[in-house]
Amino acid sequence: MRKMPTALALLALLGTTSALADITFFSTQARPLEEAQQMREIALAPYAEAINYMPQETGTFLSRLEAEKTSPDGALDLLGGLHGELGSLTPSILTPLNDLQGSLADTGISKQYMTLGKLGGDQQRYIPWMQATYIMAANRKALPYLPEGADLNALSYDELLAWGRNMQEATGSPKLGFPAGRKGLIHRFLEGYLYPSFTHSVVREFRSDDAVAMWQKFREIWAVTNPRSTAYGFMQEPLLNGEVWVAFDHTARLKDAFNKQPDQYVAFPAPAGPSGRGYMPVVAGLAVPANATNPDASRRLIRYLMTPEAQIRTLRATNFFPVVEAELPDDLPASIRMSGKAVAAQSSADDAVLSLLPSGLGQQSGLFNKIYRDAFVQIVLRDADIEETLDILAPRLQTLINTSGAGCWLPDPPSDGPCPVK
Amino acid sequence: MKSSSSEAVMPSSLSSRASASLADSSSQLAQTAHKPRRNDMAWRWLFRAGVSILVLWVLVPIALLMLNSVSTPEQITGWPKTLTPALSFETLDFFWHYQGVISALGNSLLAAVFTMVIAIVLGAPAGYALARFVFPGMNAYRMIIILSRAFPMPLLALPLAVIFIQVGIDDSILGLAMVHATLALPFAVLITSSLFMGIPVELEEAAWLMGCNRWQAFRRVVLPLAAPGITASAVFAFVISWNEVFASAILTVENRTLTAFLVQSLSESPAEIKYAGGLILVVPALLFLFAIRKYLFSMWGISNR
Repeated sequence: MRKMPTALALLALLGTTSALADITFFSTQARPLEEAQQMREIALAPYAEAINYMPQETGTFLSRLEAEKTSPDGALDLLGGLHGELGSLTPSILTPLNDLQGSLADTGISKQYMTLGKLGGDQQRYIPWMQATYIMAANRKALPYLPEGADLNALSYDELLAWGRNMQEATGSPKLGFPAGRKGLIHRFLEGYLYPSFTHSVVREFRSDDAVAMWQKFREIWAVTNPRSTAYGFMQEPLLNGEVWVAFDHTARLKDAFNKQPDQYVAFPAPAGPSGRGYMPVVAGLAVPANATNPDASRRLIRYLMTPEAQIRTLRATNFFPVVEAELPDDLPASIRMSGKAVAAQSSADDAVLSLLPSGLGQQSGLFNKIYRDAFVQIVLRDADIEETLDILAPRLQTLINTSGAGCWLPDPPSDGPCPVK
Repeated sequence: MKSSSSEAVMPSSLSSRASASLADSSSQLAQTAHKPRRNDMAWRWLFRAGVSILVLWVLVPIALLMLNSVSTPEQITGWPKTLTPALSFETLDFFWHYQGVISALGNSLLAAVFTMVIAIVLGAPAGYALARFVFPGMNAYRMIIILSRAFPMPLLALPLAVIFIQVGIDDSILGLAMVHATLALPFAVLITSSLFMGIPVELEEAAWLMGCNRWQAFRRVVLPLAAPGITASAVFAFVISWNEVFASAILTVENRTLTAFLVQSLSESPAEIKYAGGLILVVPALLFLFAIRKYLFSMWGISNR
């Protein structure tokens, strides 16, 4: 008992030794511990000022920002998040960064990305920071079972189905995998890959005949998919332990498999459907909270992060590719080289269908994803009637699009007013 | 009988259970004299099996955590598994050098100790009052205490953060400890009140007769008897604070606790990092429990060593 005060004093000392960094960089990206460490050691270390890089889960990221918005001086200086995350904030939380547009004009950032950064308004709320996309990965053990005549770099969904069947027949267990767990990104597969590939649309053709045919096909594919898929978040894990041989996921979520066993895996573009090869790039952006104590320091850091050199460093740390024009060096890690090739093949394919992240939905974007996930759960997992399910969900989709007033985005042709669901 | 003589010196809160177990064993002794031993053996084996299952239930996950955190990544994802790890300290070493782990560990301990102190300083008197006095609104009070656990943290954290920012205790360990203490208080009050109820008021009255005032009687008679139980509720408060993630993640920015600092990122890290991180989160709490085990054991009537 007598030792208590001494212990308390020691603890108090420990508590106060944590150094206060100059710039607090709050980010939902590079969250896994190793990535966060590399973000600090590789990407941010060369910067002249001290930076406190703090990766956050989306929920706490948004809650913290909402809590701070009433305070005159915020604790956060720079925000890094995905387009959808930054878009779900009240726009006035983010300082307009229109003054940066000029200095970034000749860096080669795509105009479409800059427009996404306006979050459906007139002001530049975030600066596009880095990009990634989703691709397929396969264990080399799976290659002998490819259906005859199939080209890995120009696969179709029919061939994927046949491939899955072959593997199941040969090994006795389903070897396809999708990230349909709680942390998985299956909704992006539906929005950016399946729908565009079968209907050349995301919203307009939500319940069309093509969509019905698409869901039927996906049901067949699911029958030869590992049922544990409903628990998968990051496909690198089931790939590494051999549960799954062929998987679809975000490039950053396949990286561990490519880096640990580069000779064991191949990366290749997503399959194509009757309407083409749908693919969706993911954009992360940098933003400054309106109540940041030193907005000039935040802007300086953004300018640094947008230099080609810092973008390459960020690529090494996070596996997200530069949004500015930058020469890729030769000594990049295996995962970046492998996924880089697949990404290029995917976006430059003759039948490629570019599908953008939902834009203009603002705070409705979470609900938007939920509609696609719900459709998946009902139709594929619970075997509900396809047309009936889509007829129930379509009016909900229309309501939330009307609420946000979002116009159509690619691959849907532009609309006057809110994007209509046919 | 032996039990009757031991009952006289034993505090009555413990005596009922102790005498029951003594009575059990003496009746068992009596049985063995008359009946065949087989039945007795069967019960003994059942008892041993039950104890082993309970012990393994706790120890196997911790052992797995330890084995896997000193294995190489290939061993962890590979098959078949071995029980002899390669003794690679790479992942543990990674944590040691991970920026901020040490200060987060300090913050966690500090928050847990503050929580413990606040919960006991406020909770034990409330428990005493509930046990010793009858006052109007007592049952409502009891309900309200439990009610404070009815709101999920994700719901409370946002408004709390807003108020903390306005008041100026945002991002401080003390502020966080106050939130954790709110979570721990219901348990502290309920555990201590049932504890004080178990200590006969006659003991206190006897002390008053012998010249103690209220405070002295409490300090010299009630407190020593209640100490193990109070420790138990303190441990509970410690563990609640140690395990809490959501409030810590929202209410602090620079001064993160270890759980808030690691748990969010851990769930998305490769398997070997998860194991090592899990070990790092578990070990300090285990060490703490180990250090105070004798108080816990004496509460359960096991002799303290």
